Amino acid sequence: MRNSVNRPPTPDAAEDPGKEPTLQEIINIKLIESGEKERLMELLRERLIECGWKDEMKALCRAFIKKKGRSNVTVDDLVHVITPKGRASIPDSIKAELLQRIRAFLVQAAV
Amino acid sequence: MSGPNDDNMSPHTQLSSHFFGDLLDSIIVDVASECHRIAKLGLDRNLEEEEEELRLSTQARVRAADPSNSGEANSKYVVDIFGQTHPPVANEIFECMNCGRSIMAGRFAPHLEKCMGKGRKARLKATRSSTAAQNRYSRGSPVSTYSPYSNSSSTNRLSNGTPGVAGEEYSNGTLEEP
Repeated sequence: MRNSVNRPPTPDAAEDPGKEPTLQEIINIKLIESGEKERLMELLRERLIECGWKDEMKALCRAFIKKKGRSNVTVDDLVHVITPKGRASIPDSIKAELLQRIRAFLVQAAV
Repeated sequence: MSGPNDDNMSPHTQLSSHFFGDLLDSIIVDVASECHRIAKLGLDRNLEEEEEELRLSTQARVRAADPSNSGEANSKYVVDIFGQTHPPVANEIFECMNCGRSIMAGRFAPHLEKCMGKGRKARLKATRSSTAAQNRYSRGSPVSTYSPYSNSSSTNRLSNGTPGVAGEEYSNGTLEEP
């Protein structure tokens, strides 16, 4: 018998009285449902490409891969390589722009 | 960028930062995944460029130094810069549009000579098949080999592809070789 047939029923989080959705979760859902999250991602992606951030990250990856050897590298490795530098090297203007838009969304979502 | 710091931030600011971090993490994972893919698929030629060049140059050197490669049977099968070898005579086979025979590409030009009219036999063939047309269109010029090809109703597959011949109907029978 396939596993999918015997799968337990999907737990319905909303009906569970012990756990109410947190504010973050509510907002997250609103962001996704309205399509704003996707738009924000695209905006951020575009900005990061324009300013060369993505190229820097790719260079970091390439250097790491060269050192470690192509066949031993995992996605996880690369994420750990990029994350600290990546978070730190975001240009302030881009960060400000995105934060501004997110805040505007929060306001109009009346949260 | 410090971690979440509830005391100094308004809830909105904290939330915004949280979501910004969320977006950023997703993008980071995307970039990492893309680089990982490129590396695994070997799409990034620069990755091992030096090793690759070394390897290729040693290969080339070996081939050049190898005495069995120059002269002997291999001299006809010279390897070009892409590593391909070509047989001395092109050996693709196709159908001659004039006579319908299967011809090897490397032998096509000499075949055409004989088939279309430079040769003695071809001229005889043309003369015999449509003497009337030849007499009508050529005004006494001995070089009349090409005229039948534009007018004859016999199997004439050249009429489509040979621009020089089509204009022949207006000529006096003297034709320049196309």
